[in-house]
Amino acid sequence: MKPFDVVIVGGGGAGLYAAMEAMKTNPSLNIAVLSKVYPNRSHTSAAQGGANAALANKAKDDTVEMHIFDTIKGGDYLADQDAVQVLCSEAPKIIRELENMGTPWSRMEDNTIAQRPFGGATLPRCCYCSDKTGHTILQTLYEQCLKKGVIFFNEYFALNLSVNGSRSRGLIAMNMKSGKVEAFPARTVIFATGGYAKMYWNRSSNAAGNTGDGQAIAFRSGIPLKDMEFVQFHPTGLRKSGLLITEGARGEGGYLVNKDGERFMARYAKEKMELGPRDLVSRSIETEILEGRGFDSPAGTYIHLDLTHLGADLIKSRLPQIREMSMQFEGVDPIEEPIPIRPTAHYSMGGIDTDNFGRTAMEGVYAAGECGCVSVHGANRLGGNSLLDILVFGRIAGHTAAEEARKFEPGAIPEAEIKEQLDAVRGGMHSSGHYERYGALREELGQTLARNVGIYRESSLLQKGIQEISELKERFKKVRVFDTSDVFNTNLMQVLELKNMLDLAETVAAGAYAREESRGSHTRVDFPVRDDAKWHKHTLATLVNGKVVLGEKPVTMGRYELQERTY
Amino acid sequence: MTVPIDQHTEGGKKDVTFRVFRFNPQVDSKPYFDDYTIPVERGVTVLRSLNYIKEHIDASVSFRAFCQAGICGSCGMRINSLSKLACTTQVWDVLAKSREQGIIKVEPLRNLPLVKDLIVDMDPLVDKMKHYSNWIDSTMPEASMGKKEFLISEEEFLRYDKATDCILCASCISECSILRANKEYVSPAVLLKSYRMNVDSRDAIHEQRLSELVKDHGVWDCTHCYRCQESCVKSIPIMEAIHGIREDAIESRGMKDTSGSKHAEAFMSDIEKKGKLVEATLPIRTNGVIWTLQNLMPMAVKMIMKRRTPPPPPLVKSARGIKIFREMFREMTEHVKQDHKSHKK
Repeated sequence: MKPFDVVIVGGGGAGLYAAMEAMKTNPSLNIAVLSKVYPNRSHTSAAQGGANAALANKAKDDTVEMHIFDTIKGGDYLADQDAVQVLCSEAPKIIRELENMGTPWSRMEDNTIAQRPFGGATLPRCCYCSDKTGHTILQTLYEQCLKKGVIFFNEYFALNLSVNGSRSRGLIAMNMKSGKVEAFPARTVIFATGGYAKMYWNRSSNAAGNTGDGQAIAFRSGIPLKDMEFVQFHPTGLRKSGLLITEGARGEGGYLVNKDGERFMARYAKEKMELGPRDLVSRSIETEILEGRGFDSPAGTYIHLDLTHLGADLIKSRLPQIREMSMQFEGVDPIEEPIPIRPTAHYSMGGIDTDNFGRTAMEGVYAAGECGCVSVHGANRLGGNSLLDILVFGRIAGHTAAEEARKFEPGAIPEAEIKEQLDAVRGGMHSSGHYERYGALREELGQTLARNVGIYRESSLLQKGIQEISELKERFKKVRVFDTSDVFNTNLMQVLELKNMLDLAETVAAGAYAREESRGSHTRVDFPVRDDAKWHKHTLATLVNGKVVLGEKPVTMGRYELQERTY
Repeated sequence: MTVPIDQHTEGGKKDVTFRVFRFNPQVDSKPYFDDYTIPVERGVTVLRSLNYIKEHIDASVSFRAFCQAGICGSCGMRINSLSKLACTTQVWDVLAKSREQGIIKVEPLRNLPLVKDLIVDMDPLVDKMKHYSNWIDSTMPEASMGKKEFLISEEEFLRYDKATDCILCASCISECSILRANKEYVSPAVLLKSYRMNVDSRDAIHEQRLSELVKDHGVWDCTHCYRCQESCVKSIPIMEAIHGIREDAIESRGMKDTSGSKHAEAFMSDIEKKGKLVEATLPIRTNGVIWTLQNLMPMAVKMIMKRRTPPPPPLVKSARGIKIFREMFREMTEHVKQDHKSHKK
């Protein structure tokens, strides 16, 4: 195959924005997007609430500076302040750009883009399209990419980077439709494969495919991952499925209520109440449950998200999707009765370590979106900042890769490497010596993570978690792929996804065990206080001779000094 | 899964047989069905049942699934002959309406090329989206983007709000009766998306898109069977979009000259005058004297032989209650005119 200038792995918001921007930067480049699903299926579509930008349409006194401060404080001062500056100052521009390209934003009475309040934000600055914001943004980007003639390789599963010394020669991937392993020689590769929170499996709001494929590939190629221990639990997952009820439901005025009928957030965040930052609200709900103030049910203990006082009209017009989901997955109509919810693993703050331009430690390799970690979210992401992150840094990564592509010689990927990958995926895993069922391993991984590396963490639990993950990795060596066909072998794909999750789970648990403090989403019962003297730094996890080696990286500070974080 | 398929629900279980369409192009010369019987509790979806079958009984059963929450559109399939999303379809609900007791038939979507088992190729849909320019080609030049917003009224937003709910699950494509006969047909989903673009004031290529839509295999091929709308998993009024494009085409392209619009006008004027059709002259008014003589003479002769000719125009009497009817007709026409005006704003 003719070498590509830019190969983008992942067709969600970050990947598509990167593709569009790369084509805009240099239309003569040969650019391709590889995705394991059709791009319009990507998990960006599930983001309901919105994207933050200080447009000051709703709150006339809103400023970029306030958005910056809210983000830094929300991230418990672990975010790099120069990166946050980029995120927030690019925000109004990128939201308007999307608007100019056709995103159907909801509107205010003066016909400008509508904004709503969101957790952890001083003022209402979350731009939205009812409760389908991510879906409409993804549609717009996909449409624009089709318009620009971006080349798509849909339903290709990325397997490995081809590395020559300190730089990448391109990517090796499997064509799901044919089962063939193919080489994509490329001057630059951008990873935009989304997050890894699906490793918590049933206690996760994520799509089945959010398995951190890009992070795992980068990690195996020796590229460091950053802040992997920070996994955000969203406060309001549906009790049975873990599926998400948007923060917009609280933004519109929903209450969190325990079994005593009490709006318990008054105890934890007097001022912000239900609109405190996600880590705080999740911990508050978990505490209510642990202290016996939740509702018991065979599906586990839960609390109520009450929207009944908002009235049928508002629920139908502003939150139609969550009404539908409550009815479909819990049998509850939020107009009539409260929704049963509990926290669910939702977002991974950690990811491939990048600079503010999307560059990773390896020449010619870039990362963006939830897959990367710049870091703009620090120890805890604010609602409405993830869509913004994928747009802003997707665009930046696309631009950087397009600018730098011609600096590098095109790679040629040796046949031996392709064969090696083919052997790895189609070799022994069908044989009778393999007997482990991937479903069981995956379930156990989710359970051990939720139990030992969950919302509340503690030394002995984490040790147990690390031990169990390593046992699961051992058992995985004997995993069986029962489906032997070449055409669309989803069984094989699920097994390969599990391998990625297992590799990453090790870095999450190792980081959580090492970090002896509580910061943002990372709460250590045995170290309940933030320890700036020892731990105001990023964690780096690198694979060295098959072992996770932890390192560190300083946090870039700026205008905002460390402060205690209260709401 | 090591846990039962749903340990969380109260109440009993039912044994359900999933009759799954199977086809692997590598080994099978033609498709067949496999039966899998599993106990299912209330509250379990078809997708969870398929996941259970794949994990516990037969790992080779192949289907797509991603978000499992009804928003990504991956798991469209035919469940007891109706196209819908497996992830939002409750097994017990389907069972209640099953023709064969205790059996749920699961098949791939129709009208798209089969890849394997329940998986169909989505490329034809993407190709049509490209062919009909299913994107906003903004009136704003690329270089000036990002500086300021277009001001869009709530009224305009509501015009395409429902249409942007579409998740391209292809249920409407699978149910479309035209596509069964003609795979080239634009398809309901692409008509919906085209409409959504056409009513957006930010778009600059309305005319170009429309001129493509009125060609062969385009918007005029729809036969109003409404199956697309009935099967839409997001309850989008797809037919309104199709009618919208047609009205737009007649209005903005001034298509008073085609046989289709002449036919429609002759129809209208008959109904207005007499409350019924004057069939004998309809072909002449639609296609002209020469065309009628050339094309319909043989048939007319046959009809005369068999005494099946429609009555000549002077013999067509007005329908009963024609006065009241004319009043109603006049009111209705006024309404339609008003509607058109407000649409154009």
